[in-house]
Parts: sequence; C-alpha cells; structure tokens
Amino acid sequence: MKVVELTDVHKHYMLGQTRVDALRGVSLGIEKGEFLAISGPSGSGKSTMLNMFGCIDAPTSGKVVIDGAEVEKLGDKELTRYRRTKIGFIFQSFNLIPVLSVYENIEFPLLLRRDLSAAGRKELVTRFVEEVGLGDRMRNKPNELSGGQRQRVAIARALVTGPAIVLADEPTANLDSETGVRIVELMRRINETEKTTFIFSTHDAHIRREARRVVSILDGRIVGDEGSEG
Amino acid sequence: MLTLKLALRTLARRKGRMILIGSLVAFGTFLVVFGTTVASSASRASRESIIRNFTGDFIVYSERSRDLPSPFAFNTPLPAIRDSAAVEAALAAMPEVEAYAPYAQNYGLIQAERAGKKLELPFIFYAVDPATYPQVFENAKMEEGAFFAEGTRGVAISRFQNEQYAKNYGATLEVGEPLTLLGITEGGVNTARSSLSGIFSARRYKSVFDYINFMDSATYAQLYNYSGVKALPADLDAGLAAAAQDEAAVFGLADADFGSLDLGALESEALSGSTMIAVRLKAGADADKAMASLLAVPGLGVKAARWDEASGFYAQIAKALQGFIYLATALVFLVVALIFTNTLIINVTERTAEIGTMRAIGAERSFVRGIFLAEALVLNLAASLAAMAAAGVAIAAFGKGGLPLPETVSQFLIGGGPLELRASPLPFLQALAAVLLVSVLATIYPVRVAMSVTPLKAMAER
Repeated sequence: MKVVELTDVHKHYMLGQTRVDALRGVSLGIEKGEFLAISGPSGSGKSTMLNMFGCIDAPTSGKVVIDGAEVEKLGDKELTRYRRTKIGFIFQSFNLIPVLSVYENIEFPLLLRRDLSAAGRKELVTRFVEEVGLGDRMRNKPNELSGGQRQRVAIARALVTGPAIVLADEPTANLDSETGVRIVELMRRINETEKTTFIFSTHDAHIRREARRVVSILDGRIVGDEGSEG
Repeated sequence: MLTLKLALRTLARRKGRMILIGSLVAFGTFLVVFGTTVASSASRASRESIIRNFTGDFIVYSERSRDLPSPFAFNTPLPAIRDSAAVEAALAAMPEVEAYAPYAQNYGLIQAERAGKKLELPFIFYAVDPATYPQVFENAKMEEGAFFAEGTRGVAISRFQNEQYAKNYGATLEVGEPLTLLGITEGGVNTARSSLSGIFSARRYKSVFDYINFMDSATYAQLYNYSGVKALPADLDAGLAAAAQDEAAVFGLADADFGSLDLGALESEALSGSTMIAVRLKAGADADKAMASLLAVPGLGVKAARWDEASGFYAQIAKALQGFIYLATALVFLVVALIFTNTLIINVTERTAEIGTMRAIGAERSFVRGIFLAEALVLNLAASLAAMAAAGVAIAAFGKGGLPLPETVSQFLIGGGPLELRASPLPFLQALAAVLLVSVLATIYPVRVAMSVTPLKAMAER
C-alpha cells in the first residue's frame, strides 16, 4: 500500500527575476514501512520533494497523494490537521521549542491533538522518551542537551503521534559522524519495530548506505532509485 | 493552558526586553490611576470650592445683563435684579433649594480720620445680607470682631486689606471704629455712616478674597441710590398697566390729572440693589433642572448661570488639568503601544523557525495568535496590576492629609491647601481598559506577521 504518491510533480518559483525549477516532472511511490533516503547534492530538489511529502508546500503542477488524500484539494486548516495526525517531522536543526523541557517537547504535538487524556499522554511520552534513551533527561531544556540528544528528542516528538510517515530533512547534517550513524540506527530500529515509514534526505554517503531504498535526485529530476521493490 | 505556559516561559526567557516594556506599561497605568485620581479629586475640590466660595450651584442675575455674572467684575457691576424679593420668594418655594444669598459687588471708599487728617481708603466689596450670605458661602473666617449681625449695618474687611492700608496709607482700621463710606454713582458721590464690625481672613482663594471686603446690603442700597416708591396712586398704576398692554393707552396717560399727585404722600421703599443671587442646592439636586424650574416662573426678569459658567476661568483650570493628564496618558500609551509593537515584531522575527515548527507539527494559526496575545496580556496585565497596587498605596498614603501642591497652583486650582485625594474604582477600571486595549491593538500587526509564517520556515532553518 502506497503512503506517498507523486505523479508528474513540477515545482518552480521565482528568485528575483530568475525562474528556478526545483522539481521537473517527478513521479514516485513510497510503500508503508519503507526506510527511504532521498539523495542528491545541494539544490538538487531534495528538500522541495520532502516539503511536498510533508504537506507544507504545494506543487506548481502534478499530483501529490499522502495516505490516500490528494493534498492540493485540502485547505490550510485541513492541511494543518493532516500534518498533525499523519506526518512526523525531524529537522536538520532539531527545531525544539526552547522554553519546553524534553518531556514537554515530546508531549507538544499530543497537546495540539487534544484527543488524549493526561494519563494517555504520559504513557506515550514516557514510552518514547525511553525508546530514544533520554529517560534521565526528561526535565532538561534543549539548551542543556548535546546535538545528538536534541535530535533524539526530535525523533521522539515526530513518532509520538503515531504518524503514517516520518520526514527527516538532513537529520544528521548538524551532528558529528558517529552521532549521525547512531541517529540513523535509531531511526532504522524504530522503523523495524514500529513499521513507521521513514523518508529522509541526505547527501552523506555513509548515512545513505543505511537506507533500504535510495532515490537519487539531480536538478529536480529522479536519476536513480536503488532498492525499490516496484 | 499550553498557550499560557509557553507565554509565561517565553516572557521569562526574554526578561530584559520584557522588563522594559512592563515598566512602560506600569508607568502608563500609574499615570492613569494616580493622575486621574488627582485630576478628578482636583475637579471635585475645585467645584466644591467655587460653589462654596463664589457662586453657589448657580447664580441668578438680571435678564437685562449682557454679560455672564462674574464674582470678580467689580468695576462693571451687572444690572440690579428688578424684583429681588419675588425671585427670593420663588426660590424659597423650590424644595431642592438649600439656601440662597442675594448680593452685589462694587467698589467705594472708606473715609477714616487719623490725627485730624481724613484718609480715603479704596475698597472693593460684596454687599450681602448677613442673614443669608453665611448659609451659602463660607469664605470669611473672622479673626477679630464679628461679621455684621442680621439687621445691623457694618463693614468687614480682610486682614490683608488692612495690611495694605498700613503699607500704602500708614493707617489700619480698628474693629468698632466708626467709618464714613463713599459710594460713587452716576449722580455723584453718596455717603453713609457705618462702622468696622470685624476683620477676617480668607478661608480659600486668598488671591481673590484677600482683596474683597463685605458691606451690609441696606447700607449699599442707600449708598448707591437703590430705592423706589412703595405704591403709586391706584389710577396711575392702572393707567401704566393698561399702557403696558395697549400702545394707544399711553396717550390716555396724558389726560390724567398728574397735578393732583401728592409726592409727599408717596412712601419710599429701599431696594436691595442685588445684582446676583447665589443658590445652593440640596445634595443630589440637579442644577440644570432647578434653574429651568426657576426660569419657568413668569415675570421674574432673571436669567441663571451654572457655577462653572459663572466662575470665569477658575472652573476651566481643573478641566485643563484633567485634559492635560488625559493627553499625557494617551501619549504614554501611544509610545508604549509603538514600542510594544516593535518589540513583538522583533520577537516574531527571532522566532520564525519556532513558529514554523509549531505550524509544521500541526499548530493552527489561531494557536500562534493565542501565544502572542497571551504574552502581551500576561505581561501588560501583570505590569498594570503592580502599578495599580502602587497607585492605590500612593493614594492611600496621601489619604486625608492630602497631596501637597505648590501654593500658587493650589490657590488657582482648589482655592489653596493640600488636595484631598479620593479613590474611586473608575480610574482603576479605566487603566485596565486602556491596558487591554493597548495590548490587543499593539498585538494586531505582530500577530498577523506571526500567523503568516508558514511551516516552510521551519524547514528553511539551518
């Protein structure tokens, strides 16, 4: 079952007077439970493609279907609700809320959903805090954590709502290589145990090797798709 | 709850900037509460002082007057009220009237003899009825002797006036001293015998009452020729009445036998010469309504002016102070709003990634708006509550002892002395409303900027 389907997606935008074609007719399907890397040099269109998957950018033309819904047909409120329930985000710069503790950062998306009791939230947050190995840092603020620990918090925050897909934009770019490998290993372990679909962008060859499927992109076009079952 | 938690922690994280904003809001709030209390207390004290010293709640004066009554127009007195007794009777019949006092103002000379030499001392005065004047006004505090008693004649002068006589003429007047008064009229100079019944000091408005003296109204009427004929022969009276109704009847008067009019048989009647009647109303009575019901009585030949119309610029001083405080407060809040808006925009700019992240994770635009509104309200309400408490303490501290004012300011504003501050809930509510309004207005634009931040900004953060 495909959780993500891009059909002939084009995206262009204006940079001053210059037209930039970020995506040029991209078509791609991603099955549930995949652990997929999008690889390519800077400016190749990785992030734009990820933005399409995350319902935070719309294509100029073409069709984007996420977990069965055609995203161009959704309004801002529906897209927001869709992101809240279907998608988890892991950012390159971690993007934790600085005034909230580790526990509160992970709890944050659950509070936005407002469909869980306090006890239910506590159980979920505690489970994911333990899952990412930060049980002893729950009360710490982000500025009291290392880069690797912050990214673990971000992973827990992305997973805690049980999303259909988790998007990670260069998740190891701000980490040293050893920590980067550990983060990818953690993501992969969760992918295997939780069957959560992971899509991450990277241009790090070492990280790319951890992916089961690697989609290569260059100048807005898919130029390779290794490990695809389709 | 989440919004409030985020707002509180963000404020704590940006302490320095927020303390600056909070201080400005607190200053504005203090100005609203304390300033408005001072202004309203000054306005109330000014009104009471003017009513108790100059005008009563309103002044009745002749309809022939082209000018508004002024308690200070000694050189150009108003025309006398034609039938003061009828006006007084009408006032006596009005249940809302507490007391009334007919009086006039003029200037004259006091003739005193020192070492065989006659001194002519100028003085300006109110001619008053001693029975009614103290019921309406409380401006004279007797220091020596007494205010002339009801039914007696006399003059009371201010201590300051007597000191001026000593300075300028080398003579002072003594209580009990017989005096000759000189009144200057169109027909010449009239004289009347009187005596100095007392010396007073002004309770309030020293800059005015130090220069004003008192004379009984009977002496005044004599001195300035206020007298008439008690009754005309019946046929002449009827003829005049008919002439008033029918123009042709005027010519009939010529046929009347005026030669038979016995002037010696006519009885003279002393008129009061009152130019104004100050009216004090019972507590809670409406001056406008009372004036309207008096003026509805036919044939009185009078007009009426409220205390604030009749007191010249004195009533305007308190209003001007109030206006100044409101203007200053408005300016402070405008500055606060501008600085606050600016600070919030900087906050939004600095927190673009944070807002974008929240939006990406699933926060709706209304949630973002809620955070910024909560920050503004929490900060401003906390600062304004602290300032209100401080203003409350300051008002209580001055309490009955009153707020000391520079004497010159105090004389013009409230007639002298410290200003008694009276706290009322209104300035506190006004301050709260102003702070809420400023918080919301100052947040509108920054919130719009914050709400326009897209989740893409989170991805753009590197």
